[in-house]
Amino acid sequence: MNVSEMAKKIGLASFNSSGDKEIRGVYISDMVSDIIGIGEGNLLVTLQTHKNLIATANLVDVAAIVFSRGKTPAEDVIALANKAGIQLLGFEGDTWALAKKLYEIGIR
Amino acid sequence: MTTNMPKTKTQDDCRHQWKMTHLRSGYLVVEGCLHCRHRISTFSEEPVPPIDDYREEEHFWSHLGDFQASKFDLQCEKCAKNVRLADVMAIMLCMRCDPECGVYKAGSGSGARKTWVYVALCADTSHDSVTCVSEEGLRALNEYFGQNLHDPDKKILVVPCSLRRSVDNCQGVILADVGLTELY
Repeated sequence: MNVSEMAKKIGLASFNSSGDKEIRGVYISDMVSDIIGIGEGNLLVTLQTHKNLIATANLVDVAAIVFSRGKTPAEDVIALANKAGIQLLGFEGDTWALAKKLYEIGIR
Repeated sequence: MTTNMPKTKTQDDCRHQWKMTHLRSGYLVVEGCLHCRHRISTFSEEPVPPIDDYREEEHFWSHLGDFQASKFDLQCEKCAKNVRLADVMAIMLCMRCDPECGVYKAGSGSGARKTWVYVALCADTSHDSVTCVSEEGLRALNEYFGQNLHDPDKKILVVPCSLRRSVDNCQGVILADVGLTELY
């Protein structure tokens, strides 16, 4: 499933418009030191909204980033994500609620 | 005596397929000398990063900061070659802040449309000595981060921190945890 289809099905907010990559898995983490070890193509779900996260997400080539609990990235973070071609999405509920929705629409 | 066993691939002629091994969490600790103003970095795997001042020959090192970070080695899945990245303290994304910086220039020479330059940071932050991250380590890091990229226009280039022009003015983004206490 691609990012745009997933975002539409769950009703995620969009902070930018940067590509429409295929989602090959999901990874949930708030720690950059953890994310650096994941494979490419993951949908990254996190509470962190800083530049360090974008720098790491770009290195491991994520499909997109979803900020849960209504977290909003700053303008300079969005600008860096735009450069890196990383779609930034937002979800008002908590991470567990998002994980359930992702599973329900077939993302495993 | 002859054998029918197939000739095994040597590590030298292997087209490596790297995987991360020995991934461990810890702290990137930055210290500065009060006298000569040099800075060094260490990776601490202690539960709490060291913050005490100490003397080492002519240097008086003081704790300047620490960040939760991770460290890893690389191993080839085909030939089992192992590259220890003991001399890599952290990785940093170049923000292209200084056209005169060697890191900036390294990213300008690539033919790829979207080249992202990451800097492998060694322990000698101020580069008081001539040593930096090993050639073998850099080669493996470049191969590892480049091997799974699906966008043909995207390129990850990892360069040594000895190319950096100024540690004081550098605006690079270190791949380390910040703001963990500000989450809630």
